[in-house]
Amino acid sequence: MKVLKMSKIEQVLDRLAQQADVYVPMLRGQQTGFFSWNTYDEGYDDLMFDILNVYQSPKHVILPQTEKMYSFSQEGQEIKIDVEAEEMTPKIIMGIRSCDVRGIEHLDDVFLTKGYVDQFYKARRDKTTIIANACYNPGTNCFCESMGVNPTDSEAADIIMREVNGGYVWDVKTEKGEAVTKQIEDLLEEQEVELFPLKPFLRKVNYEGVAEKLKDMFEDPMWEKFSEPCQTCGICTYLCPTCYCFDIQVKAWGDEGYRFRCWDSCMYREYTQMAGGHNPREAAKERFRNRFLHKLQFFTERYGRPLCTGCGRCIVVCPGGVSIIKIIDTVKEAETGA
Amino acid sequence: MNYTQEIREIAARLLENGQVDMVIAWEKGDHEYQTIPFIARTVDEVGRIVCDEYSIHNLSNSLLRYRDGKEKIAIVVKGCDSRGIVRLLEDNQIKRDRLYIIGVACDGVKDPLRAMKQHSGFERIQTPEDGLAAKCLDCRQPNPVIYDEMVGEEQPIRGETDRFARIAEIEQMSADERYRFFEDMLSRCIRCYACRQACVACNCRTCIFDETRPQWVGRETSISDNFMYHLVRASHMAGRCVECGECERVCPVNIPLMLINRKLIKDVNEFFGPYEAGMEYVEGNKPPLSVYKENDPDDFL
Repeated sequence: MKVLKMSKIEQVLDRLAQQADVYVPMLRGQQTGFFSWNTYDEGYDDLMFDILNVYQSPKHVILPQTEKMYSFSQEGQEIKIDVEAEEMTPKIIMGIRSCDVRGIEHLDDVFLTKGYVDQFYKARRDKTTIIANACYNPGTNCFCESMGVNPTDSEAADIIMREVNGGYVWDVKTEKGEAVTKQIEDLLEEQEVELFPLKPFLRKVNYEGVAEKLKDMFEDPMWEKFSEPCQTCGICTYLCPTCYCFDIQVKAWGDEGYRFRCWDSCMYREYTQMAGGHNPREAAKERFRNRFLHKLQFFTERYGRPLCTGCGRCIVVCPGGVSIIKIIDTVKEAETGA
Repeated sequence: MNYTQEIREIAARLLENGQVDMVIAWEKGDHEYQTIPFIARTVDEVGRIVCDEYSIHNLSNSLLRYRDGKEKIAIVVKGCDSRGIVRLLEDNQIKRDRLYIIGVACDGVKDPLRAMKQHSGFERIQTPEDGLAAKCLDCRQPNPVIYDEMVGEEQPIRGETDRFARIAEIEQMSADERYRFFEDMLSRCIRCYACRQACVACNCRTCIFDETRPQWVGRETSISDNFMYHLVRASHMAGRCVECGECERVCPVNIPLMLINRKLIKDVNEFFGPYEAGMEYVEGNKPPLSVYKENDPDDFL
């Protein structure tokens, strides 16, 4: 087995960063998320490969929160349009957990399949190598296994790092992974080591049949009840590794401007605000219900699996204590709609 | 703090005799350290109510959802939360006679959100979560300022530090230093609007940040749009923030929002004061920036 010794991690990152923008989990001041190794500041940042996960998922590496699409300007009678081809340096996401890799698989579903390929997404995705960090110790609110994710073996990963005493087994899965490994081959060591066993999950849900049941539960009183503590902020959607909704907006001044897209959240009233003034999801309950129906019913109907990877972030960070586990359990147990 | 039994008794009485249609309180979540907002509408549901050491949420904000209704509402408020009720009454958001306010004397609460994070595995430093919530350490108002029924013994004020000390330090910074200070703080904002949603003073029917014609503040998570968002949010808090600390507590990227709010509190106090928002309800009274007076100071313009 190829093994990356703990003491060589920074060397590996430095090497990889010569060819690519490498995103790694870090504690940066007061926040945790995936940040570029090029911006790593020893005195301020802290590498976090050893943590269960970071609050801000790495989805922004491929789907940035704000992204310029094109700029325009008027010169006399001419209108000039420049497509903002952001310089696409190859990217590596290193240390990503299986739940978040599944999140990227969902983004792939949305932006690359069903007859439409999003050029901005594709350009980034094609140049991104995923180095997953296998997870052997599920956390208090983790339930990825119940959502069909294998915490120790992510499908879309190019390489899987497996934590062992003193380092990581370097498990190459794809050609992309081979290419990246070539750059650091000399920093890896051949060694026989024993892998940790996967610890049992503390939380489980049974999603089977939930999408089907939800079809008849649009008017169920549970939506009112569950949405009461929800303050309709966007924390859950913005920290979620799968939420992909965006808006396209423009900034213009005088004869020039640019168009950009930015994350949007179904929890915001403005999200469904129509030009004529009508809002089909005026009340918190309606927005809340849509969020969960999208995750647990609509997405499954379109792509065959739910838009939830069981990472548990929304459960941990919700100020109102809303729990998707509780919602799945309630639907599962509901007698209506069966 | 544990008034679960007392609150359940009051709630059962109020619902039973039809005095109110709903009781806004708390219930337990999935973990012993998790308490979440809960609305009981029937006597059967009263048994779910808790009012314990994790009852941190300022529930007064949830009254906004019912401002257009006719329901009679009982609501449980701690000292800080009760100032939020005054805030809503002053802004004519809800009629006093629709409310039955159950005040609880609060000796400080713990933060369930903090505890959830501590136990999540997402945090490396496992400090035992026994202490009071950050916002309670500097509490100025442990006792309700408005109530119909009071539970618990009056509590002493805990906040004795100068809450403007840090503001004075920042005021002393050079313009460049101050810019860097705020740039570092606000560049990490993800614009989830949790600070706005948690705020009882944010009661506009259509928030300026949701306006699209015109769009006053851009939606990019750039430093300029983030600055605009926080400047506008902060200035709307002037004379209206009741210091419940919920905005700062719910911020997922730990922006010290109370620092910004306190600057405004300090300024309003200096220019128009002495003034503390929401300390007592006198019908017809308005916060300083809700009225115009000929002799209003304008040196800062």
